[in-house]
Amino acid sequence: MILASHGIIASSISGVDADWLAYYNRVIAAGGSLTTTEQNATKQLVADLKANSLWTPMKAIYPMVGASAAACAQNLKSSSFTGSFSSGWTYASTGVFTSSGFMNTNIRPSEMSQNSIHFGFYNRNSATGTYKMGVYVTTPIFKGCYLRGTNATNDNLVNGSDDSGLFQRSNGMVVANRTDSLDKMVFNNGIKSSRASLSLSPVDNFTFYLNGINAAGSSSNTGTAEYCFSTIGDGLTDTEASNYYTAVQAFQTTLSRQV
Amino acid sequence: MIGYILSIEQKEAIQGVFFATDIFFNCIQDINDVWFLFLSEQDKEILPQEYLYLLDLPQGEYIPKPSPPFPR
Repeated sequence: MILASHGIIASSISGVDADWLAYYNRVIAAGGSLTTTEQNATKQLVADLKANSLWTPMKAIYPMVGASAAACAQNLKSSSFTGSFSSGWTYASTGVFTSSGFMNTNIRPSEMSQNSIHFGFYNRNSATGTYKMGVYVTTPIFKGCYLRGTNATNDNLVNGSDDSGLFQRSNGMVVANRTDSLDKMVFNNGIKSSRASLSLSPVDNFTFYLNGINAAGSSSNTGTAEYCFSTIGDGLTDTEASNYYTAVQAFQTTLSRQV
Repeated sequence: MIGYILSIEQKEAIQGVFFATDIFFNCIQDINDVWFLFLSEQDKEILPQEYLYLLDLPQGEYIPKPSPPFPR
């Protein structure tokens, strides 16, 4: 065990979840830090996800804690898919804020399967009118995954190609989801809406952007928002989605940044 | 929204370049196709010496392009 001046770097500490410890060590190694409250909140989040069988479906979880790019870029789930931020972000205990930037999650929809995928975020800002998260391509056909919400229009694709959107909140936790080839769904704070939507093969050459959209390799439609969580992974059952919201809302409440 | 105004050459020199481990420059075109760069106060604090010239660039009001039509 190595005791560093800015924290504890260790391969194992009795009683501490190994996955959380690996995440914490990644934050420290990247030059970030976490307050005691943030450490405890992320530990509890890992415990809650594991207790509800939600750890395994996750590919990327960005808790957005640590008030720095180094810390907020880290994936809680694994050392893969560390994010990167464009210029123009402000990092605070309440999350990450921008009016012009985007975050590249470095994860492609094809990391999940055509009929089992979810992606989403927790947004504290009620600004509307922009793509919040996603990726699309236009060749050989138009398809993709994204969440776009305005007061008048909601567009969302989940490995699909139709633009008949499901309502999505302007703040809070919004998760797009698919668990079969016939329907897409959106969970707003854990509450499901769904509609028929045939699935297409996932985009395999471009990655998810948070805030705005990855339009076949170019950032587009960035807007004003403050994110304090983002998630990408396999499709979730209704119960899993509800439990996920409960765990994330408790996490945000511990950090005094819930909406 | 106020941003730094860049020439095409200045934009080409920095677009996508990482100036910190987890942060890269991203320039955006306004409604008149002028290139803009936005830096948060935190970005400015960690900007490497070689990019400090960016803080001396002229600034102007950024007006975004209208959202493109739905891409189908």
